[in-house]
Amino acid sequence: MIRLAWRNLTQNPARLLISLGGVSVALVLMLTLDAIFTGMEQRVTAFIDRSGADIFVSQQDVRNMHMASSSLARGQQARVKSVAGVASVTPILYVTNPILAGKDRSLAYIIGVPSDAKAGGPWEIESGREDPGAGGVVLDVGVAAKAGIGLGGEVEILGDTFEVVGLSHGTASMAGSVAFISLDDFADLWQDSDTVSFLLVETAPGEAPEQVAAGIEARVRDVTAMTRQEFARQERKVVRDMSTDILAIMNIVGFLIGLAVMALTVYTGTLSRRAEYGVLKALGARNGKLAATVVWQAVISVSLGFLIALILTSLLTVAAPLASASLRLVIGLPSVAKVVVTSLVIAGVASLLPIWQMARLDPATVFRRR
Amino acid sequence: MDPILEMNHVSKVYGEGATEVKAVQDVSLALEPGEVVLVMGPSGSGKTTLLSMLGALLRPSQGEIRIDGTDLTRLSESQLPRLRLQNFGFIFQDFNLLSALTALENVMLVAQLAGARNGDARRRAVEILTDFGLQGRLDFLPEKLSGGEKQRVAIARALINEPAVILADEPTANLDSKIGFEIMRLLRQIAKEQRRSVVVVSHDQRIREIADRVLWLEDGGFKTLAATASDPVCGMAIEKDRAAASLTWEGAEYFFCSRGCRAEFEAGLRSAPLPA
Repeated sequence: MIRLAWRNLTQNPARLLISLGGVSVALVLMLTLDAIFTGMEQRVTAFIDRSGADIFVSQQDVRNMHMASSSLARGQQARVKSVAGVASVTPILYVTNPILAGKDRSLAYIIGVPSDAKAGGPWEIESGREDPGAGGVVLDVGVAAKAGIGLGGEVEILGDTFEVVGLSHGTASMAGSVAFISLDDFADLWQDSDTVSFLLVETAPGEAPEQVAAGIEARVRDVTAMTRQEFARQERKVVRDMSTDILAIMNIVGFLIGLAVMALTVYTGTLSRRAEYGVLKALGARNGKLAATVVWQAVISVSLGFLIALILTSLLTVAAPLASASLRLVIGLPSVAKVVVTSLVIAGVASLLPIWQMARLDPATVFRRR
Repeated sequence: MDPILEMNHVSKVYGEGATEVKAVQDVSLALEPGEVVLVMGPSGSGKTTLLSMLGALLRPSQGEIRIDGTDLTRLSESQLPRLRLQNFGFIFQDFNLLSALTALENVMLVAQLAGARNGDARRRAVEILTDFGLQGRLDFLPEKLSGGEKQRVAIARALINEPAVILADEPTANLDSKIGFEIMRLLRQIAKEQRRSVVVVSHDQRIREIADRVLWLEDGGFKTLAATASDPVCGMAIEKDRAAASLTWEGAEYFFCSRGCRAEFEAGLRSAPLPA
């Protein structure tokens, strides 16, 4: 029956193209959206992942950076440093705020780092210097290009003007970019030199970050210490929670479009061959065999549609960053698995009505004159 | 000889009350192996209903239909498809080949439905189609075949599972007279050589002489048919009591459509041996 399903599909190339086009567009919608959010999740944690810290120490119960604020007394730095297994502690200040460059305005994680920072600074400099120094800022190269500024250009951060002294790579996402200024400048703007946002800890060689983090929480009051991986996981979770509803809605839209296209093409395809299915039934084909033919047609269609969608989305992952540096698409395995399952559900549901109609088809109709 | 298929006092009624229609009434029929039975009758006489019941496609309202000792009317719906696959071959007026499949695949599919493996189904289908002179058309789609070729593919499809009974619905209606006659001769040959029963429903008077029996169905029942004979000169089928002329020669009686034919026949008697 697979052969019959395949031949039925390919006999009418126009119908097949419409079917594949509709299904693949719907699946591209789902795959692309997932890829955008997966890419965004990865970029959102770029600072955490590339900070060089093994442990993030924050105000008690603060477990991420996005849309969160943490405040630690400067004195905590020495207490954390005294914990066994801690090699270095770097204090940073952090706030989410817009950067103004001429008329261009973009949201950024503003990070204040000390000049002798062991961790927390920019990780890939394209041009200029890594240490922002007094009055300087290290900007993402894409943000700078978009604003039409380069090294020596000026931007406004937290109401003060900074000179662009370095341009960094991989520090922008759809959610915003990361900009680095000196810790002292940040403290001046903040008008508070007694607190920091986070302490970035490097562990001594051979020390397990989980154990050191537990030691910090045991020895230092009112702090939360998390390994870099766990901190990044929490950050991704926050972003994912914020986007879950959008993703769910768009997935439902994609599912419904795919289902509508597939149901229509399977239905019309079956209807146009109603007489032939009647002949098969008269000759002795069981309902199960005929149903299998219809299901195979739908499964072959959605499988081809899925492959096309995967190819198109893969092409988009290459093309999208060329159009916008902050846009990064990542096709994740869970997303592929989800779309595969969705495709199979679409095939199954789209086959139900034709199968029901075929089951009711009277084989004696073959002898009635058309 | 035991009949292959028996139909005993079968009736089919559609609807009820004021809308009741008696399509077939108290019909009995027995088919012998190797017999070709032609069922004729006016439109609406019940031929299609009769054929559908014979082929286990329609349940009678009354009576029984036995094939190889099994009463079809007592089988469940789920048992009928397999019974049809194994016992009946169907031939249709419109050929009814699956348009997306090649000639070979059309025949193979029915064998596969009956449980044959791909290789075995292919071998058998190629064999039958080759026997029918279609070895050069195996991979042709139906749209690329002539009417006669399509009907031969349909006959091959009907034979692939070696059924005891072939049911043909107007098999010559969409064919020219020459091809139609060839198809009927092929069906007769199959009946005689393979000992299968062939039931043909047709309006085509030209195929009467190929049948062993001609049944006239009218108002849902079989009617007595006027005795017919074939004019030995022109081949025309004629009712014996309405023949224009007749003669008896060596104990056999011959009937003619016209005196001219009889004169020609008599002239032939004087110069050549009589036809067998």
